[in-house]
Amino acid sequence: MTEPNQINPARRQLLVRGAKAAASIAAAVGLTYWLIDSQGPSGEEVTRNDAVKLPDFSVPRKDGQTISIIRGQDRAKTVNKAIELLGGIERFVKPGDVVAIKPNVGFASPPILGATTHPDVVAAVVRLCYDKGGAKKVIVIDNPINDPASCFAISGIGKTATAAGAEVLMPKNNLFSHTTLKGGSLIRDWPVFYGPLAGANKLIGIAPVKDHHRSAASMTMKNWYGLLGGRRNIFHQDINTIIAELAMMVKPTFVILDGTGTMMTNGPTGGSVSDLKKTNTMIASCDMVAADAFGCSLLNLKPSDLPYLSLAEKAHVGTANYESLKPLMADVT
Amino acid sequence: MYMLSGRARRFESAVGALILFLLIATAVGVYFIQRDFDMARFGIVSEQEGGFLPVGKAETYNTDNLYEKIDGKAPMYQESGFVSLATQRFANKGNAELGLEQYLYDMGNTRNAFSVYSRQKRADVTDLNDVPFGYKTSNAIYISHGSHYIEIIGFAESQELIDAMKGIAQKLVAQLPSGEKDKIPELDFFPQGTVARSWKLQLRDAFGFDGLSDTYSAQYKAGEQTVTIFFSQRSNADDAMMVAKRYSDFLVTNGAKTGEIDSEILKSAGASILDFYGSAEIVFATGAFVGGVHEADNKQAAEKAAEVLIDRLKKIND
Repeated sequence: MTEPNQINPARRQLLVRGAKAAASIAAAVGLTYWLIDSQGPSGEEVTRNDAVKLPDFSVPRKDGQTISIIRGQDRAKTVNKAIELLGGIERFVKPGDVVAIKPNVGFASPPILGATTHPDVVAAVVRLCYDKGGAKKVIVIDNPINDPASCFAISGIGKTATAAGAEVLMPKNNLFSHTTLKGGSLIRDWPVFYGPLAGANKLIGIAPVKDHHRSAASMTMKNWYGLLGGRRNIFHQDINTIIAELAMMVKPTFVILDGTGTMMTNGPTGGSVSDLKKTNTMIASCDMVAADAFGCSLLNLKPSDLPYLSLAEKAHVGTANYESLKPLMADVT
Repeated sequence: MYMLSGRARRFESAVGALILFLLIATAVGVYFIQRDFDMARFGIVSEQEGGFLPVGKAETYNTDNLYEKIDGKAPMYQESGFVSLATQRFANKGNAELGLEQYLYDMGNTRNAFSVYSRQKRADVTDLNDVPFGYKTSNAIYISHGSHYIEIIGFAESQELIDAMKGIAQKLVAQLPSGEKDKIPELDFFPQGTVARSWKLQLRDAFGFDGLSDTYSAQYKAGEQTVTIFFSQRSNADDAMMVAKRYSDFLVTNGAKTGEIDSEILKSAGASILDFYGSAEIVFATGAFVGGVHEADNKQAAEKAAEVLIDRLKKIND
């Protein structure tokens, strides 16, 4: 029997164990408190040893040859004409160049639905780069999050690009590197599909004109979203800023905006042929902002309806006043 | 060192054994559920339909990874109560490029499913007669059924595809639960003259105003004109009055100008009419309802439609 004022051994052990448990909890809480960054990110540049910066792929501008707008139904013909009016592919692609083409391959969706870049446009540009530009190599890249192989197959881009002589590069972890956009608030220490771009001399973006549930429109600037890795969906909360920052980060050689069939409703996925309208327009531009500003008219929008255009303008990416660039116009029957 | 007493030791061993047993039972349960995992639990069709065979395995998505499948459209579903998505592709036996894909969204309840269905409904479609909420286009079928929203999308415009899609749709509807509770009584609140199946349900932020939630709208034929009428049932009359006032103020803040109402019925109901960059907006409160006309091209047609709607909502109040 336990004497008065004497602690039962089992109770003593319980107290000791309880004290140890309490000490462990206190240590965990203390460690957590010590690790908390009460200040948050400083806003200064995030630097890491392996951080990369995307190359500048742009070419010198020529007044009066910045943007071309072609009317016609045949994509191969209109895209050829659009590039020809800007000075021909020879202005942009030199013999021996490695050209990266970035279409929108965001969905496993067939060409008939217009959710992805039409394969005919990709094939036409690949052929131009080889046949008239003398490119050494053309690669076609995108980072569709959901099953890239299916996206490239069902969109038709994988097959047609390969048939035209391009190499299709699927996203792999080792092809992504972290980057930080100077002055950016969202692209900070974020993985981008950098590997294929590191060895390229030129970069051409090719995007369809689409309605977009979050950003109102998806065109050439939004197309660069497909270069981002990671859980990029978090950027949908601030869609205008991320599109503007992408346009600041990527300096392409030129862009193609395909408005042959415009997705007027239910974008960016669409799903029904009835979401599309025949607008029979192809745009080539060295100024992404100008291209997208013109693209607004195909969606019955005004440039002021897209806040990311003014954000990009303020960052000196380009001008939303595309008419000031005196667009070169032509009809192709 | 003191040792635990025999009784305490036995108790501690028993607790330890119980915890181990629970962990093992959980592992065994997970094993059997996973071993017997059947995509049909999601209600999705994963068997041959006509000349079309399933391609690959069915895929499922939740709120965390929905963006992987539909990217920029994911927020619309997530803001409307999205629970899960199951998809399955099919390809024609003789032509692998002739394919289709079914999307089965579990939206949690009937209103959520109807909302995403109605907001995406295409113009100039053929309504399906064997379901209350369904239509087809030249390459796709869309249905709202109970708490599910269904899309069956063909990769081409072909009768063969349409036939296969109809077969899949019938199987889906037959195996998905739906009943009396899945009806939407508010759709009966629209007056006669409302264009059949033109309803839309905005769960939040209707017409860009964050105070207008659970708002039903539809097209109404006022003579030769077609206008959009709408209503939202609030918790009580005071709330309805407040929302109507706030919505009017919101329109004015965004550039609308207050106009003159010609209709005596609307005047006596305290309705307000606004000129919003050339289109007419009418807002009123009656009982627990906020209602009105949105972006009408013709002021007279707007007033006529508002009169009919207010009369109908008053009868429901009574």
